[in-house]
Amino acid sequence: MFRSALTRVSHVARSSMLDTSARVPAATVSRNMSKHSTETDAELDARYEAYFSRPDIDGWEIRKAMNDLCGMDLVPEPKIVIAALKACRRNNDFALAVRFLEAVKEKCGGRVKEIYPYILQEINPTLQELGINTPEELGYDKPELALASVYE
Amino acid sequence: MKLATQSTPEYQLITTDGRPQELFRGDAPCLLKNRLVWTAALMFKNNVKLHHIIMALNMVTRRALALTLQQLSRQQTAAAASTLSKIGNREVVGFGFNGSPAYVDRVDFPMPAVRFREDTPDVQVLREKEMGDWKKLTLEEKKALYRASFCQTFAEMTAPSGEWKSVLGVTLILSSLAVWIYLWMKVFVYSPLPETLKPEYQEAQLKRMIDLRANPVEGTSSQWDYSKGDWK
Repeated sequence: MFRSALTRVSHVARSSMLDTSARVPAATVSRNMSKHSTETDAELDARYEAYFSRPDIDGWEIRKAMNDLCGMDLVPEPKIVIAALKACRRNNDFALAVRFLEAVKEKCGGRVKEIYPYILQEINPTLQELGINTPEELGYDKPELALASVYE
Repeated sequence: MKLATQSTPEYQLITTDGRPQELFRGDAPCLLKNRLVWTAALMFKNNVKLHHIIMALNMVTRRALALTLQQLSRQQTAAAASTLSKIGNREVVGFGFNGSPAYVDRVDFPMPAVRFREDTPDVQVLREKEMGDWKKLTLEEKKALYRASFCQTFAEMTAPSGEWKSVLGVTLILSSLAVWIYLWMKVFVYSPLPETLKPEYQEAQLKRMIDLRANPVEGTSSQWDYSKGDWK
C-alpha cells in the first residue's frame, strides 16, 4: 500500500515538474577498460606544455599541475619545465620557479648526475631571459637553515 | 492497489549504438538507494557522462541526490572553515596534497596549499618588486622571497638527521647490559654444574662406552683399536 502511494506521489510530482523537452543527447565517450592510460609520452608532454603555456593560467592551477607532474613516474621534459617557468613569470612568483627546479632535481632520483645537468643546460636560455636563479646559485643545494624538531 | 503501468519510459537515453535505452519505468518497485545505484551502474556500463546521468534520473531520485549532496557540502565547509581559521594572514595558493589549506614540506608534493609566512608589509614590498624584472632582485631578496613562501628547501628536507648514530649506540649499550646481566646470573643465580661434567668422570664415561662397543660401525667405538688398546 505504501509502495503504491509512493509511486502515486512520485507520479504526481513528476508530472508536475517533468520537463519532457530535456531529452538527453547522444553519449559519445571513449572507453577505457582498465586504468592503464593509453597516452603516449609525446601526448603527455604536449598536454602539460599546452597547459602551462595558457596565457591566463592561475597560480593555483600551476601548483596543481606541478604537483601532479611530480607525482608521476617521470622527469619532466625541458620544454615542460620552460613552459612552467614562463607561467611562474606571468604570475610573478619567483619562489615557485625555484621550488619547481628543486622538485625536478628531486625527480631525477639516483641518476641526478646525468639528468639534471642536461635539463639545466636545456633551460639555461630561459633562466637567463627570465632572471631565475637555480637553487645552486641561491645556495640551496646544501642545507642552509636547521629546523628544531618538534619532538624535543 | 496497482496503478496503470506506463508504457513509455519517462526519460530516454541514446547510447553509443544509437538505440534508445529505457532507464526504468515509473512503477518499478525499487528502493531509492537501489535505484540510484542501479541507474548509475547502468550508465557507467554504457559510458555516459555524469551530467547526462543526473539529467536522466527520476525527479524524486534527483531531489534525494541533491539533498544528500547539500548535506555533504555543509559538512565539508565546516571542516574547511576550521582549517582556514588557523592560517591567519597566509595566502592560499594551491591545492596542496589533499585540498586542505595546510602547509607541509613534502618531497612528493612540492607545492603546498598556503604560503609559509604571513603577508607582512616587508613581504608586500618584496612582492611589488617581484612583479618587475627578476634580474633586478638582489640575491638576498630572492632568498627572502623563497623563505616567505616555503619553510625548508629540498636540501634541508632530505638532509640526513644522524639518527642512525644514536640508534646504533643505544642498541650496543643495551646489548652489553644484557651480557653483564648474564654474567651476574652465572655468579649469583645458577647452581653449580654437576660433578659428572668433570674431566675424570667424562673419561670414565668414554671408557665405559668403548667397553660396551657403543656405535661400533661408524661412531665412537669404530675409532678405537681394540688390539692396540688405543685410538686408531
